[in-house]
Order: sequence, then structure tokens, then C-alpha cells
Amino acid sequence: MAIELSAVSYRYAGASRPALQSVELRLEPGRVLGVVGANDSGKTTLCLVASGFAPKVVGGRLDGSVRIDGAETAAIPPHSLAQHCGLLFQNAATQLSNTTSTVFEEVGFGPCNLGLAVPEVIERVWWAMRSVGIEDLAPRDPARLSGGQGQLVALAAVLALRPRYLLLDEPTSELDPAGTALVADALARVAAETGTGIMIVEHKTDVLARIADEVVVLDGGSVAMSGAAAAVLADPRLAKLGVEPPARVRLERAVRTAGLEWSPGLERALA
Amino acid sequence: MSQVDRETTQSTPAAFAGVAADSGSTANDGRRGAPARSGSAPSVPSIELQSVSFTYPEGTQALDRVSLRIDPGERVAVVGQNGSGKSTLARHLNGLLRPTTGRVLLDGLDIRSVHVASLAARVGLAFQNPDRQLFAGRVSTEVAFGPRNLGLRGAALDERVAAALDAVGLSSEAATNPYDLGYSRRKLLSLASVLAMRTPILVLDEPTTGQDARGAAMVRSVVAGAAAEGRTVVAISHDMRFVAECFERVVVMRAGRVLLDGPPDAVFAEAAWPDLRATYLEPPRAAVAGSRLGLGATPTEAAFVEALRRRAGS
Amino acid sequence: MTIAPPARLEGLPEYVTRRPGGFYRSTNPSTKLAIAALEVVAAFLVPGWPGPIAVLAAVLVTAAAARRLRGLATIGLAASPIVGSILIINLFLLPGASDPIVRLGPLAPTWTGLWFGLQTVARLYAFSAAIALVYLTTEIDDLLADLARRGLGRRAVFVVGAAVQMVPRTIERAAEIVDAQRARGMDTEGRFWRRARGVVPLAAPVVFGALTEVEERTIALEARAFSAPGRQTLLRVPPDRVADRALRWAAVLALVAIVGLRIAGRFG
Repeated sequence: MAIELSAVSYRYAGASRPALQSVELRLEPGRVLGVVGANDSGKTTLCLVASGFAPKVVGGRLDGSVRIDGAETAAIPPHSLAQHCGLLFQNAATQLSNTTSTVFEEVGFGPCNLGLAVPEVIERVWWAMRSVGIEDLAPRDPARLSGGQGQLVALAAVLALRPRYLLLDEPTSELDPAGTALVADALARVAAETGTGIMIVEHKTDVLARIADEVVVLDGGSVAMSGAAAAVLADPRLAKLGVEPPARVRLERAVRTAGLEWSPGLERALA
Repeated sequence: MSQVDRETTQSTPAAFAGVAADSGSTANDGRRGAPARSGSAPSVPSIELQSVSFTYPEGTQALDRVSLRIDPGERVAVVGQNGSGKSTLARHLNGLLRPTTGRVLLDGLDIRSVHVASLAARVGLAFQNPDRQLFAGRVSTEVAFGPRNLGLRGAALDERVAAALDAVGLSSEAATNPYDLGYSRRKLLSLASVLAMRTPILVLDEPTTGQDARGAAMVRSVVAGAAAEGRTVVAISHDMRFVAECFERVVVMRAGRVLLDGPPDAVFAEAAWPDLRATYLEPPRAAVAGSRLGLGATPTEAAFVEALRRRAGS
Repeated sequence: MTIAPPARLEGLPEYVTRRPGGFYRSTNPSTKLAIAALEVVAAFLVPGWPGPIAVLAAVLVTAAAARRLRGLATIGLAASPIVGSILIINLFLLPGASDPIVRLGPLAPTWTGLWFGLQTVARLYAFSAAIALVYLTTEIDDLLADLARRGLGRRAVFVVGAAVQMVPRTIERAAEIVDAQRARGMDTEGRFWRRARGVVPLAAPVVFGALTEVEERTIALEARAFSAPGRQTLLRVPPDRVADRALRWAAVLALVAIVGLRIAGRFG
């Protein structure tokens, strides 16, 4: 049970070069996978391809195989894809349906689209809002929320479809530190408590250092590095690949470069 | 470009020609108000808010009797959570918003009756979202828009455009369509289009948000270059590391008021943490680590290493 | 007047099921649409004065009872330039009229023209008032939900709802774009010619921004199962009481009757 990409290459319609090349990737339920890379390294494309929305909704050409729980995404219609993979982008505002006047109904938009019975819709909405921690936002107008709150609503709205996997493309990039912390905590909680597999594209490697189990580094559409989060984020090649290491790693490196001694006390201070 | 050594060996891009980033330009030596170097920037004015309050038409009060003076050549970062009034403050600096009460003074003169278009020659504001600005079919046309509005033509205009593109690393993309650039580079393009106006005061709204490592490094070099030329740089940012490393003065805002105002050493020192946390900000990691080890104020990585070195030496 | 929600909607929070109160505001939206259709038809197809006068009276009384008279007056005021010019055109230029009120050089306002003009004005006001009344007493969400319940496709519902919500957002975005271009020296406070040059720098980002958003919005909608087959579940559904249904059928029958009578030439 996983999302599996095997030898996946992808080219947007009319593009001169492929956005992804020979990507191998595996996302398992309950795990958090971080994806980093310079801008234009293919991170957004990876989210679209792994969720099956590219090429299905976006067009373009896919080579290789993308399987969700064993089924090829090409064979799954979009509304079913949505129940396997939740997709979240960086701009909370574009993800609002613009057809609802309360957060409760906004979170219920997906289940209502599926034609589920009202009691089930209600149950899913409360479950999703509880998982993300936004029950008190339920009566509010979705268009009048702060950036961080908006992203949490979008997250709950996607979770209401009970996807087994969640793919997020820079969800905290427009958020202030408070909003970033809210979203990061909510994601960690969702992974732990609901067993959802999470793939998160991020520039803020500090967030990944906190919540990711594994990290994949993309460079020009290919996977340059992958492995356990701590190891990859501490790898000296990261900076050359256009990725800022987490603060802790930078500090340690600065200390060692200055020829100073490394001690357990320092280790604790930087944790 | 090595990222660790940025403070002392920052190479200044050719755009700010004639001025080497020499010993005078380290970010946190506490020096205020560098005099304008001859032959580079036009004379830099001071800018001051005097007891400025501002309420939006729908009733939200965004600024509450803010008094703030920024001297020529200062590098000031304005931080605070969303809704604290930072963006509103920035828009008062170039006249996009006018105070409900209070005054904004440029070199001592009230700018109330000055058109925004005229202020644009002295205060440049780079917006957070580049897609709210980009309209031209070519990068070079986009960058030329600002200086053209200021009256430049011909060779002088071309030189400005080339210099600005060079400062952000987009020289090779002069003929590209802006929407063919990725988001990072569109943001740099929008920055270049303001740089090309060569305003003595530069205001940047969230310049590193959404940037990858290279883009962020480019922004830091732009700030250093502008400062080296004696320009005033004001930045609104969430990025505490960027703030601690590139700015000599940090203004913390909360609910429309100035909560803290001082050098990074003071604002990120342990004594100020309760105030910072009250406004949902965290000090930079280096400051936290330094405080855990009893090293005093170490807002930047370099300061942290230096403090460790001093302790090891003593 | 509180209406107990149908049993199957129990469990929904009150801010979802709460209905607007007040006379006519709580009437079913489709009923209001049917009544407005009847009023429009009556205003135009019943010859002479009785049609428009009756409609205007009915609309004004309903608006007063629903406390929407001021809104109606505002809309009436907004329409007055158009209505005024129609009156003037009829007054002075009605073909075939030959009973001048007074001669003002080449211009001769006629009694027939005045009579006809006033009647046309009355019809126009009646027509617009009938439609305005629906607009003033109905939430767009309720209207869309009711139409969706009756079978209107989810795409149509989405397009209307999103379009309505788009307006304030586009205005907000346009304002930000204006600010960004002004900050780069574009003159919006000076001479007209300089301002005219600002069209492309203002319009282009609005368009590009909207276009680049479309793809992301489409994916976001698909990611919420928007294209799932079958009927959408509706959470917020205006009730359709016996009185609402009776009124609706009565309005439709009256409408058909008027059309029939008119076609049969039975109106004197």
C-alpha cells in the first residue's frame, strides 16, 4: 500500500524539456516525505504527477508508471483520485470553492460533491476539522480568514474526502511563523493519528527537520538524493543543489568550519 | 557564492559600481546612517512617521500613533505577525496610504500633498506578489517601466535596465517573457524593476518569501549592495535569519504599534523573548542556541561562532 | 416565524440551517421568481394603465412589508436617467402624434407622446421593481441551492456563485495592481493623457493573474471531487412549504392566463 512512481518522466504540453526525469519514489501511509529542491526543479510537477492529476487534468505526457495502492492512476477518474490523494497548494485563496459562506460548508464541499448522505457529510466535516484543530472556525466566512487559517481550512476540506495520501505543495510559503507552526503541527498530527501518508514540498527545511521521516532532493527534474530526513538535511551537497539546510545544520557547520570543538553541550543547545 | 561568509566578503554586483563592499559594510557593527558616498546614490533623505494612525475604510485600525524616524542609509527590518501593521506602515512610506492622523515627513517636509508618482522617484517599494505587477512581454520592458516613468530614455535607460538585471542575476533573460520565468525569478524581476529606479530609499515587502536558496542569497546581495551605496533599505519580513543578518535595526510591531525597536542584538536577546513570543515571533536559532550556552546576544550565526571562539580563547 | 427543519437535516449546525426571517424574505426563492415572472408579464402584456399600476402597487406593498423600500428607491433612482430619457424621447418624437402641448420652435411635445411615455415609464419601473424585489429579498446562496434542488447542474451553480464572489476579489486585486504600478511611478493623479497610458500596466496583470489562477483553481476543484457523477448533496436548502408551492402554482397559472388572454385578443 503506497504511492509508487517507477521510472516516471513527465513533459508539459509544448515544453522543450521534461519537467521530471526517471523519478523513483515511494510514499507510504503514516509517513511524512519531504521534497526539496531549487525552484523549477520539478517539485510542483511531482505533486501533480504523484496525485494523478497530471496528465489527467493538466495534460502533458507521462512515461513510466504511477500507482496508487496498486492501481495505475491513468485508470482512475479524477473524482476517485481525489479520494485517494488530497492535493494542497500554496495559495489558500485559490483553493476556496467560492460557493460557501461558512467554513463548515466549505469543508463539506468535497463530501457533498460525492453525493454522500447528510449524516455522513456531517460526520466527515467534524472529523476533518477536529484532525486539523479548527472546530472553532466552523461558523466563520472562509473568505475572511487569515492566511494560516485559510490553509488549515483547505487542509480540512481535502481531508474530508478521507484520502489515504496527502500531497502539499509549499503550504507554508505565504504564511508567517505563527501560521507555519499551525500547519506543520496539524500535518504531524494528521500523519500520526490518521495514518495518512504525507508528501510535503517545502523550502523551509526547518519545518521538514521537525516533521519529515524521509527527504527527497530534486534537481532539474531528477532525484539527486533521498533517504532519512536527518541524513539528507545534513548532507553537505544540499547547498549546491539550491537548498538551504536547516538552522541547526548550518550552525553546526559554522562551528566546525571555524575549527571549534564540538561538544555534547553544543549538541543540546542546537537541538 | 558561499552562504556562510556573506557578511564580510560579500561581493557587490556591478550594478552598484564604483563602491566596493569593504570593511564599512558589515551588517551588525551597530553603525547607523552611513553617509552617501560621492558619485553613487543621489542624496538620501530621512523619512519619519510622526504619531501616525491609520484606519482602513471598513473600520480596521492598522496603525496606532506610530512614531518612527529612519535616518539616511539605515537598514531597518520591520517584523510582526500578519495584521500587526507592517504592510500598512510600508505603504505610508511611499504615499500609497495617507495617515488618518499624524504626518509622514521626507527630509522634514510633509508628503501629504505630493503625488505618489512623484514620491516614486525617492522611495521605491517592491511588492510581495510579483504577479500583481508584471505586465510586459519582455523582462527588459518590465524593468524599464519604472525609470521610464521617471523620465529616462535612450542610453541612460538601457544602462539602468542592464545594471538592475545584473544585480539580480537576470541579465541572460532580458528578452524572455516574464511569465516564462519561475516564481523565484519573477520575484527577482519585480525587485529589479524597482532597483532600476535608483531610489535613495528602498522598501522591500517580504523579499525572501517563496524564494529558494539562490533567490534568497540574491536578495541578500541586493540589500548589501544598496546599503553599500548609502541608500536606506527598509524590509518587511518574516524571515528572522534574513533580518538578523542583513539589518542593523529591527522594529517589532504588534497590533498597529511599535513593540520593540533596536539592533538585532537587543531585539533578539533573551530579555526580549517574552515580547517576541507574545507577537508569535521566534528569535533566530542562533540567538536561542547562544542563550542556552550563556554566550550573550548572538542573533546571527557569525556572532554565535565568534562568541564561542571568544569563550574558547579565554 | 420559525420553521422546523426536516428531520434529515438534523445535526447540521444552526448557522447552516438558519433561514432568513421576515416577510417575503423567508418565501421560497423559486416562488419569488415565479411571482416576479408573473409581474413582468402583467406589466407588459396587460394593455393600458391597470397592468403596470397593479404590479407597482403590489411590489411596493411587498417591499414595504419586507422593509426593503429604501433599497427599491435606490435602484429606482439609479434607473431614472434611462427612464427619463425614454420619457423625453416619447414626449418629443412619438411618430404619428399630432396634438402638441406647446410649440418650442422646431420641438413640439405632444399629449399623446406624454401619455404614451408615462405609460412606458410605468411599465419599465414595474418590470425593474419586480426583479429588484427578488434581488433584495433573496440570498444568492439560497437561490442557487433551491435551483440545484430542482435539478440545475452543479457547474451552472458553481459558475454563478463563483462569479458573484469573484467581483469583490477582482476589485481587491485590481486595487493592489494599481498600487504596485503607482509605486513604480505610474501617474494616476495627474493629467488624463498620462493616466490613459496606464491601461495596459493595469489591465494586463488582472488578466494574467486571473488566467494563471484558473488552472490552479481547476485542479483544486477536481481535487474536491467536483466532477463526481450524480446529484450533489445539499446542506443549505430553503424550505418549500405548502403555502410556497400554492403561491408558485397560482403565479404560474395566472401568468399562463394573461398570455392566453392576450393572444386571444380578449383584453379590451
